[in-house]
Amino acid sequence: MNEQMQTFPVVEVVEHNPTLKTFYFKVKTPVKPGQFVLMWLPGLDEKPFSVSDQKRGRLEITIKAIGPFTKKAMELEPGDRVGLRGPFGRGFEVQDNALIVGAGCGVAPVRFLHETAKRMEVNTTLLIGARNSAEVLFKDQYVDEGATIVTDDGSLGGKGLVPDRVREMLASGSYSTICASGPEVVLVALRNIAKEHNLPVQLSFERYMKCAIGICGQCCLDGSGIRVCVEGPVLTHEELEQVTELGLPHRDATGQRPEKPGICQA
Amino acid sequence: MPHLKVQMAGISMDSPLVLASGVLGVTASSMRRVVDHGAGAVTTKSCSIHPRKGHPGPCIIPYEHGMINAVGLSNPGVDAVVNEIRTYRDECQAPIFASVFAGSVEEFGKVTRRIAAGNPDLIEVNVSCPNVQSEFGAPFGASFEDTAAITRIVKKNAGKIPVAMKLTVHCPSIGKMAKVCEDNGADVITAINTVGPGMLIDVGVKRPILSNKMGGVSGAGIFPVALKAVWEIHRNCNLPILATGGVSNGNEAAQMILAGAHAVAIGSAVYNRGVEVFQRVNEELLEVLELHEMERLDDLRGGAHE
Ligand SMILES: Cc1cc2nc3c(=O)[nH]c(=O)nc-3n(C[C@H](O)[C@H](O)[C@H](O)COP(=O)(O)OP(=O)(O)OC[C@H]3O[C@@H](n4cnc5c(N)ncnc54)[C@H](O)[C@@H]3O)c2cc1C
Ligand SMILES: Cc1cc2nc3c(=O)[nH]c(=O)nc-3n(C[C@H](O)[C@H](O)[C@H](O)COP(=O)(O)O)c2cc1C
Repeated sequence: MNEQMQTFPVVEVVEHNPTLKTFYFKVKTPVKPGQFVLMWLPGLDEKPFSVSDQKRGRLEITIKAIGPFTKKAMELEPGDRVGLRGPFGRGFEVQDNALIVGAGCGVAPVRFLHETAKRMEVNTTLLIGARNSAEVLFKDQYVDEGATIVTDDGSLGGKGLVPDRVREMLASGSYSTICASGPEVVLVALRNIAKEHNLPVQLSFERYMKCAIGICGQCCLDGSGIRVCVEGPVLTHEELEQVTELGLPHRDATGQRPEKPGICQA
Repeated sequence: MPHLKVQMAGISMDSPLVLASGVLGVTASSMRRVVDHGAGAVTTKSCSIHPRKGHPGPCIIPYEHGMINAVGLSNPGVDAVVNEIRTYRDECQAPIFASVFAGSVEEFGKVTRRIAAGNPDLIEVNVSCPNVQSEFGAPFGASFEDTAAITRIVKKNAGKIPVAMKLTVHCPSIGKMAKVCEDNGADVITAINTVGPGMLIDVGVKRPILSNKMGGVSGAGIFPVALKAVWEIHRNCNLPILATGGVSNGNEAAQMILAGAHAVAIGSAVYNRGVEVFQRVNEELLEVLELHEMERLDDLRGGAHE
């Protein structure tokens, strides 16, 4: 795999639920947690996805069905060829004693970070948040491992919101940094909490992307102008300092900023 | 001390290097960041009267000698671009060029009138994009009559703002085309746009890779083609030339200036050398001036012609 187009057969599909699947590919090119790839479904489109793990020469991508492309992806079976390009962007740095937070469909990139830390025998703490038990990704594994889980309705783990739980964890324990991925409202809340506690952050953002190689200008953040596809998607306090658009609806495929946020942001 | 300041159609620039249209030109902050990295001016992504989503992906694919793109002229519409230009003005001093395109001569007039409200330093008229042929027919830039008519209507509607006509090599003679633009009132010639269109096929799935199947070729591979076009334009018309096509270092930028260019736009090289490419090429151009013990780029311009 590299930045030019190449197609790979799907080697395995794991269904978490009908709208959430993990796809496996034989890809040895080293990818860092937090980096992403572009997946091409020939005849349809090409879209960005984080890598949710890479081990034993296999790359995993976990996709949530929310629109035309991701719904079509649910039909993929072993042997089907898809294009994969990348890896793109700058990922997470594995850090000792990090608090790793994955909220909603943002679990994929932090899952890779957490798994990598485990393989490196670096000690980290994982917090998973979701609306309800059914929406907790990789539920069995995380329950087995005793990861901290919170759901909005209390149907699994503690009842409550991710930022509130992070406040509690910071009050009772000490961490070196917060690494997170998830809805932007959660990321913004975590950024503010981290500032209060003088903690560095590594937060993974999403923006509408086309080229992923820093050319088209579609994913640049207002205020700083940095490209989420190249300088991101994982950003620190310093890199977020000048950004003026956090929490606003993302610019769409035309470059316009719509009145209402897209599905992924809700 | 040698310096890189240039003047083009009355526009003063600290460096001859311009951000090419369609690259990092969607938002004000992105363009300001390019200026922070050494560009003398920036060009907005080409806009039309109404917003366009562009083609699905893949729409930009790098390959060994450059890249191929069929973004499909996505843009937020001219009025949104006017707002970006205003935001840019609040943040940044360097000149900003606004690129426009349209599907008919009348529409070129209309989009020009609307973009003029943002008061850009230059209006660049894209009559040369190869990516939307099926919708708009062959590029207007392939026809002397169409290009002449567009130049006239755009000049009429641009008011005091200078107009650049952006040409394609895919016309009977780019030198003559530039002369036609000059005779019809243009102030600057931008050349060239992407070449082709070209195609790349994935052997695994046996299909063209771009969703549009074909797309414009840019980057290192087209440099000699662009350079020769600039040379020919310089011999056929007296307008200042904004040269673009495959430039990625100071040597190539100097070649464009020796062929007759006033300014040099860089697009695809942002991929290979990063946003820092502008700063680096500035430094490399200064080295060329030092080599010839020259003070200004004006002394270099056109130097390759007898
Ligand atoms: C860096 C990054 C990493 C991502 N990682 C994952 C992941 O691991 N798993 C996963 O399921 N999803 C991930 N996504 C989101 C995924 O790209 C979108 O879900 C997908 O593009 C939706 O396409 P669609 O046709 O199904 O839906 P659409 O109906 O076309 O779009 C639904 C929403 O998806 C988002 N979206 C659509 N197109 C793009 C695009 N070209 N670039 C960015 N966002 C887009 C927009 O917010 C839009 O509102 C990631 C996005 C980015 C930018
Ligand atoms: C991704 C991409 C998008 C482009 N979009 C436009 C555009 O909207 N309008 C335009 O006039 N030229 C557009 N171009 C052409 C460039 O402005 C430039 O003329 C061409 O790429 C050659 O220069 P380069 O080799 O330095 O990229 C685009 C080029 C690329 C690579």
